Amino acid sequence: MAPVFFFLAALGALSGAIGVVMLRNPFYSVLALVFHLISLAALFLLLRAEFVAAAQVIVYAGAVMVLYVFVVAYVGSGEELTSGGGLRVLGPVFALVLAIELCIAMLGSALKGISGKGAPYIPGFGSPRHIGTLFLTKYLFPFEVASLLLLVAAIGAVVLARRRRGLEADPEYQARLHKPVSHLAGSMAESVGARRDR
Amino acid sequence: MTPFGIVGYYELWWVAILKALVIFGLAFAILPLLTVYERKLLGRFQGRYGPNRVGPYGLMQPLAEILKFATKEGFRPTTSVAYMFRLAPVIAILTAVGALALIPFGDVQHIFGERVGLYGIDVSVGPLYVFALAGISFYGIMLGGWASGSKYSFLGAMRGAAQLISYEVSQGLALVGVVMTAGTLSLTGIVHAQLGMWYIVPQFVGFLVFLAASFAETNRAPFDLVEADAELVAGYFTEYGGTPFVAYLFAEYMNMMVVSGIAVTMFLGGWLLPFGIHPPGWVDPIVVFAKMMIFITFFIWIRATLPRLRYDQLMSFGWKVLLPLATLNVLVTAILVVS
Repeated sequence: MAPVFFFLAALGALSGAIGVVMLRNPFYSVLALVFHLISLAALFLLLRAEFVAAAQVIVYAGAVMVLYVFVVAYVGSGEELTSGGGLRVLGPVFALVLAIELCIAMLGSALKGISGKGAPYIPGFGSPRHIGTLFLTKYLFPFEVASLLLLVAAIGAVVLARRRRGLEADPEYQARLHKPVSHLAGSMAESVGARRDR
Repeated sequence: MTPFGIVGYYELWWVAILKALVIFGLAFAILPLLTVYERKLLGRFQGRYGPNRVGPYGLMQPLAEILKFATKEGFRPTTSVAYMFRLAPVIAILTAVGALALIPFGDVQHIFGERVGLYGIDVSVGPLYVFALAGISFYGIMLGGWASGSKYSFLGAMRGAAQLISYEVSQGLALVGVVMTAGTLSLTGIVHAQLGMWYIVPQFVGFLVFLAASFAETNRAPFDLVEADAELVAGYFTEYGGTPFVAYLFAEYMNMMVVSGIAVTMFLGGWLLPFGIHPPGWVDPIVVFAKMMIFITFFIWIRATLPRLRYDQLMSFGWKVLLPLATLNVLVTAILVVS
């Protein structure tokens, strides 16, 4: 059962990742990324990391990607994105460098694990309680730094939006919004002309 | 292999399959009755009878309607995306049914010498699993609206996305207080922790926030801007007819049941009865279901009572009222639990 589950999830993750890069329509790209993330969550489940799997789906598939879909659907998914000249050269270079790095990492450590039995499962490992304890003891500093980073990003987003006059009130629009209207407007009294505007 | 395994005992595989079938069958037997119940109740609220022609008290009404829906021609707009148009309602109903597996309808029972928990699965991450499925169910709404290729559907779906993201945060935070007090994420564990006092008493603020956010999460009135019929015809399922439409309809009712079940489990003590009454095990599901019906009736009552909010009111209510309240609740609870 577990191998079947693993190969299904792995195939899903791979096909999703390939779809993100290969699909021309940004909307489908985003959906492929969602599929990839959900498949990754299934792989996490196989590793008994239930909390990580749930967090992965809630945070990435449920919140971040919904925003992506939102933006892509609004901005228009019809036209294809044009790739810049610089990226055309740099892209493969980066891909090659990443591939070499991954190969080094895999040949260096992961191949040794193939013949082994793998890490033993300790009951309670990966449970929310376990992860929470680690966050507040061993990994307190990285945890706090990461949350600070997210805070900076959030404030930065607000500042950027403000600078483009995104959050300031448009006076013309405000004037239209608060146009003085008779309190009888739209009522039967107005239609029969019973009372004029005050 | 038990990926969701903190079940404290060995459960036979056929027991798991049987449980899944029973929960699935019962849920889909109750859903049509819920639609009649809602229409009857709405009718009464508005001073009319509601459906009363088909069968006794109009109870066979959903059967007639399902026959009608099932025999309809499956059509779609020319601008729609074919496979996604068909896939979206499936996602909606799949995630709704999946979340139902979490609701504990009773304690572990001894049936024919086997230990059987009266719930689908007991997950160590409990409510997070429900939120994960709710996260995926966004795509049912969004893809449905997007793939329809119609402006009304698209606007409904986009509203839905914004609304669901906004209220999911408050809904989740409202439950954090309960989880902190109980000290476990397992839903059965939370029910056991409420043996002395139901969490609706110490976590009343959390309960209110959860209830308000649930209305938005299930797209029910007064937060049903996703399907605001005055502006958007029917929102994301405007272009749907026949069985895909029924899938969306049932998904909404199923979500209502799931949310009621979570509320019962987290705040109303699940299968526990007050005043130290301990009925035999087979009463548990009836107790849970009776409590769920209270919430469902409340949902319907609110639909008949309150008018729909304006969109900016919806957003400011979610972000400026519910979220600070939920955060404050978590903060106070944390201080009380630690001290």
